[in-house]
Amino acid sequence: MKVVGICACCSGIAHTYMAREALLQAGAALGHEVHFETQGTIGVEDELTPEQIADADAVLLAVDVHVEGTDRFEGKKTMKIPTDLAIKAPKAVLKKMEEELAKA
Amino acid sequence: MAKKMKFEVKRPTLTAISYLLPLIVASGLLIAIGNLAGGNVAESLDGMSFPDMLTTVGVFGMGLIPSFIGGYIAYAIADRPGLAPGFLMGQIASFLGTGFLGGLIGGLVAGYIALALENYLKVPKWAQALMPMMIIPTLTTIVAGTVMLFVLGYPVVAVTQALNDFIVGLDQSAKLLYGFIIGFIGCIDYGGAISKVPNLICDGLLADGIYGPEGIKVLCAMVPPFGVTGAWLLSKAFHKPIFNKEEVENIKVAFPMGCCMISEGVIPIAMNDLARTVASTSIGCGVCGAISFFFDNGSAVPSGGVFVIPAMSQPLVAVIALLVGSTITAFMLVAIKKRLPDEDVEGTSVKEEEEVDLSGLSFS
Repeated sequence: MKVVGICACCSGIAHTYMAREALLQAGAALGHEVHFETQGTIGVEDELTPEQIADADAVLLAVDVHVEGTDRFEGKKTMKIPTDLAIKAPKAVLKKMEEELAKA
Repeated sequence: MAKKMKFEVKRPTLTAISYLLPLIVASGLLIAIGNLAGGNVAESLDGMSFPDMLTTVGVFGMGLIPSFIGGYIAYAIADRPGLAPGFLMGQIASFLGTGFLGGLIGGLVAGYIALALENYLKVPKWAQALMPMMIIPTLTTIVAGTVMLFVLGYPVVAVTQALNDFIVGLDQSAKLLYGFIIGFIGCIDYGGAISKVPNLICDGLLADGIYGPEGIKVLCAMVPPFGVTGAWLLSKAFHKPIFNKEEVENIKVAFPMGCCMISEGVIPIAMNDLARTVASTSIGCGVCGAISFFFDNGSAVPSGGVFVIPAMSQPLVAVIALLVGSTITAFMLVAIKKRLPDEDVEGTSVKEEEEVDLSGLSFS
């Protein structure tokens, strides 16, 4: 499964990056290709490329706040979760996405 | 693509806070440095000193708080077309003297009106380009402005006044209680979504000239990082290892962050032992808040950590409150955290996933 997404929390200095790290590690452990950009207080980092977005099977938004650039994902299957869920249970979230993809 | 008309308050408010934080931090520090250097708010450029400049610009920043709240709440709801009307609702809130509450309500009103117009106002093709630039901002401002001034104006003023009177009118025993509560909730998730709510209320009261709660907020943000640092030192003194190597590294980062009033550094440590850590830090924060509020310490500066303590109304009380709260946290952590077996002290934390219910998740 190929997943792209955005991480963004309220203060934009801690949870944002912890969520990205957790999801990247979980993705690597489960053998998925995952890419996440962060929208912290500093702005957009690790911005997703159009190719990554085009190739993705699904989009995961681990966000607590309004994020920019969601129009890039138009027409893609998108799941939205709070950042703390991505930190607590990243593998479970990715597995859930896989299940939902299989259903669709 | 039509956006969903779903009424929500939390996400827009969190968005506004995330944009608001740098403003508060920067303006707060400017006021603190300016005041300490003897600056005053200048009325004109004539004779303005450098400290005057710092204080004056910091106060300008404080004046932007209602607009930031209103503007970015509306932006989170309706995207860009909501931004201008939201900022204007913040100006209305300032005009009414209802700082943050007015900004909050104004932002929601403007945001949902703008969103409704985006979704339901049908215009001919030639006028579509005018929608985000002219039609939505203008119509939204007229409608939301009418609502804010002629419908909600007096009620919002009354509620703000009642809240302010309530805080100002608290007697000493009530101050002890509310100081504890504000401190307890104010840092319960170390700068996360829950603690932003009481903190925003404190900022709002500050905008209305009430400084006590803000003092609690500033001090309590430092208690968790100071407390875990103290606990680490105590754990060495008592020969009871409670933090592993990785956590100790995190504490070394959390302490300087804590001095600057950023409590987030504690999160990685708390995550490994959530219940015990939160209990210890929240009780420490509560005590710190109670002491500060009881002895009428207040902060006119909303942020800056240890560096703004000299600018508080009772710096000595502030230091005592901070030390007592942190010490309680430190002793509690050492007392209730489990002794680590020797082989774990050198290691890193094994991260096991929590059991979570994901049945509500699906693609949209």
